[in-house]
Amino acid sequence: MKALQETPQAEPRQLRIDKPKFNWKKWLYHLVTGAFALLMLYPILWLLMSSFKESSQVFVTAHSLIPDPFIISNYAQGWEGIAGQSFGTFIKNSLIIVGFSTIGAVISSSLIAYGFARISFKGKAFWFACMMVSMMLPHEVVMIPQYIIFAKIGWLNSFLPIIVPQFFGHAFFIFLMVQFIRNIPIELDEAARIDGCGRFGIFYKVILPLIVPAMATAAIFSFYWKWEDLINPVLYLNSPEKYPVSLALKLFLDSETASNWGAMFAMSVVSLLPVVLIFFLFQRYIVEGISTSGLK
Amino acid sequence: MKKVVLSLSSLMLAAGLAGCGNDSSSGTSGETKEGSSNEEITLRVAWWGGQPRHDYTMKVIEMYEKEHPNVNIEAEFANWDDYWKKLAPMAAANQLPDIIQMDTAYLSQYGEKGQLEDLTPYTKDGTINVENIDETTLKGGNIGDKMYGFNMGSNVLSVITNDDMLKQAGVELNSENWTWDDFEKAAIDVQKATGKYGTNPMNPPDVFFPYYLRTQGERFYKEDGTGLAYKDDQLFVDFFERQVRLIKAEAFPTPDVSAQVKGLEDDFIVKGNAAMTWNYSNQYLGFAQLTDAPLTLNLPPEQAENKALFLRPSMFFSVPKSSQHKEEAAKFIDFFTNDVEANKLIKGDRGVPVSSEIIDALKPELTEDELKIFEYVESASETASPADPPDPLGSAEVMKALKDISDQILFEKISPEEGAKKFRKQADEILSRNA
Amino acid sequence: MKLRPAGENLAGYAFISPFIIGFLAFTIIPMIVSLYLSFTSYDLFSAPQWVGLANYVEMFTGDEKYWTTIKVTFTYVLAGVPLRLTFALIVAMLLNRASRMVGVYRTLFYLPSIIGGSVAVAIMWRNIFGNEGTINQILFFMGIDQKIYWYQEPTSALWTLILLSVWQFGSSMLIFLAGLKNISPEYYEAASVDGANPFQKFFKITLPLLSPIIFFNLVMQTISAFMTFTPAYIISKGEGGPLDGTLLYSLYLFQKAFNFFQMGYASAMAWVMLLIVGLLTLILFKTSKYWVHYESKEG
Repeated sequence: MKALQETPQAEPRQLRIDKPKFNWKKWLYHLVTGAFALLMLYPILWLLMSSFKESSQVFVTAHSLIPDPFIISNYAQGWEGIAGQSFGTFIKNSLIIVGFSTIGAVISSSLIAYGFARISFKGKAFWFACMMVSMMLPHEVVMIPQYIIFAKIGWLNSFLPIIVPQFFGHAFFIFLMVQFIRNIPIELDEAARIDGCGRFGIFYKVILPLIVPAMATAAIFSFYWKWEDLINPVLYLNSPEKYPVSLALKLFLDSETASNWGAMFAMSVVSLLPVVLIFFLFQRYIVEGISTSGLK
Repeated sequence: MKKVVLSLSSLMLAAGLAGCGNDSSSGTSGETKEGSSNEEITLRVAWWGGQPRHDYTMKVIEMYEKEHPNVNIEAEFANWDDYWKKLAPMAAANQLPDIIQMDTAYLSQYGEKGQLEDLTPYTKDGTINVENIDETTLKGGNIGDKMYGFNMGSNVLSVITNDDMLKQAGVELNSENWTWDDFEKAAIDVQKATGKYGTNPMNPPDVFFPYYLRTQGERFYKEDGTGLAYKDDQLFVDFFERQVRLIKAEAFPTPDVSAQVKGLEDDFIVKGNAAMTWNYSNQYLGFAQLTDAPLTLNLPPEQAENKALFLRPSMFFSVPKSSQHKEEAAKFIDFFTNDVEANKLIKGDRGVPVSSEIIDALKPELTEDELKIFEYVESASETASPADPPDPLGSAEVMKALKDISDQILFEKISPEEGAKKFRKQADEILSRNA
Repeated sequence: MKLRPAGENLAGYAFISPFIIGFLAFTIIPMIVSLYLSFTSYDLFSAPQWVGLANYVEMFTGDEKYWTTIKVTFTYVLAGVPLRLTFALIVAMLLNRASRMVGVYRTLFYLPSIIGGSVAVAIMWRNIFGNEGTINQILFFMGIDQKIYWYQEPTSALWTLILLSVWQFGSSMLIFLAGLKNISPEYYEAASVDGANPFQKFFKITLPLLSPIIFFNLVMQTISAFMTFTPAYIISKGEGGPLDGTLLYSLYLFQKAFNFFQMGYASAMAWVMLLIVGLLTLILFKTSKYWVHYESKEG
């Protein structure tokens, strides 16, 4: 019955917009997607709203989203930081670590991925296997020997042990880009070679533009993974003035005394902003992939 | 192949274990020897805790630096979890800070494996002034005759009560000489009258079961740490049967309920969900800040007869063997322990101070709640007997086994009798390695 | 296709040289050391002592918990990975269209994944599934006065972890999206001309062309699911409870290494894990030639 009633309503629209049923579908799409997004977001909202509650109220009123009283002092308090270090310092440290790591990981990974995907050389299978295997050993057991290596080089209490390894490629990103490159028709390479491009020229002029979506994806992941990375800063950074956000957030909490939950939630929200921003900026490159890869 | 691998890896480890101390990134001026007090030196000090502790400890450090202009202190702090993750690789690579905050649970691991310096000489020669510290308290961090940790403060077990809820249930506690049965009855009465839990879950069991044993004149670990001291499994059965009865009466939370507590802020007593809570005395302050209900610190049941209570070292300061500045480190510990102005900032955060002089000097400075804790510890120390020695090697495993078995009993997957046997078997297996 | 093999070798090594240098400098030695340690008893502080196969023998014959953790981990991987990937693919398809709102939706759907391993997420999650939590309140609101005690049974507690991993499907979704964007619209246009319906398009165009990406996600998600540590650690406060219901492999390994100071045993566990995951990955790679379609054969 309903369907019958709705169809005539859609008719006049069809006359005006000249796209039958389009709007109806569109609204359904937005309704479903939007509602679903909201459901997914409930926990985030909870986090956001908790940041406006008093520390002692966060759990007492956990079931309610509406802060009562609504306070914003958590943000001021959290921003003051801990033991004389402003939260700005922690954000600055995170940005340095994450910025360099991301640039290093994306550039080196794309080079390596091209080597694996397009060039057939002796020992390729072996090195590829090495790369995969290096991801399969739990970090807990390699962490002590690694720590000793960095101690020997004299890199402890600096950003170097966290940043530098990223410049030698990241297995996840390498494999990701390999998969994307292998999906690019080889004819493009050959056309470029006929035009006189060398290996690097093919990589730079043909492949790189085509794997922008994969690179954007890698950049988003790298940024976020390094942003939330806790274990490496815990191991390698000793001085509080070098702590990144992930480590600093935990300084608000203690199981034996009253914790500053409000400040922790407030600063969690603040520390989400750069990650969201980066995501929003880079996800457009994933979309734009459509125009470039359409050139087949 | 095996040989190559073997030598390569032992080389690696040897490199790590043997004197990395010199290329420590802390900027310690490598060659500096202890003693001459005018040389510029850098001390690394590490501790765990929450924000208030980080804040005031930094201020204490500033005070120290002002008095000792040649000493530059680098603070390294983290919360409990991260702290121990940091410390283990540091120890493996000989990179430990000069002063490390230490817990009883880890003291024998770090001490007996040769990481920590014996501090006894520094207390003997007066570098650390121990005149006002009671002998038993001072030796709280001793393993055998080696002082691997300098005791920073004392906590005492307590039962904190919400007096409104007790009144509502018509329960009157005589905390000087109440029995375990009184406790059980009180918990059930509260449940009947209010519908809430009578008590918090007495979790973790490795704190409260040993206390129960002490009230029965028994001990948990053998003195030398090679096995369980108590012989009669009926003690284990009695302890857990009481909890099972309380759970059946809905007066005691099941383990899943207690696992949902996220912090002091939603603890049973704070949210008014339980009338009694088993805790160390220092937690009273947090509870009192977070709830408006009238709270009292009570001595736990049956403490008097067998002198079951003890002063538990809240934490220690330890100095690693690898430190280049042991004497300076000891001086800092002395300052932390004996300086009145510094302790006006520290107050009871690291347990009630060990120096009687400091306690007297602090009393006028304390808030009402802080004073209650100090007085409670004082009154308890009158009937207390010496604490058990620091947990033996392997205690972390024993504690985990006890927790697992306790959960199985409280979820009624196994009977207390089965649990008792299972626990003895596992604990003996673990501890026999120390023999 | 193979031109100048000698030059190829040189070029190949030139391009992957960063990986080789990094691997030799930071990865291979620690790996060898951990393999060596797996045959020793090592407490981090004193020199390791050779014990031969004792750790491995203990693991398979003496350690009850080891089998529990294997069971828990396999359940987590086998249930979590397919659910997460299906979910991610559906949402990616949903968001793979030209609409002004799509950028916003994408961000919204990705948001849960970026609060990842923070303390906040652990607290929220316990709050949602708690006895007085959101889910039970919704049930009550719908007139069902029957609470679900998620954390009382090992299985249901594990499911809260699985749901958490499904909820954080953002990274797989993003990779699917990037893959979908790389499928040329001409294929669909051609199919439309031929009168294909959406299902035919999905099975005949989308799935085959997306197969390298599906393969990638499957491999990587399987590996990372086996290694999952943080959620289990923060949600169960490092315990793996209730009754070891959430004792994932990495969590148990961590307890062994850093709570009990049995680094030798932990290393042995790690190498067994490497063998399991390696074998599974190998199987995936071997079967891939039957279902993964690349535009270019290996160059």
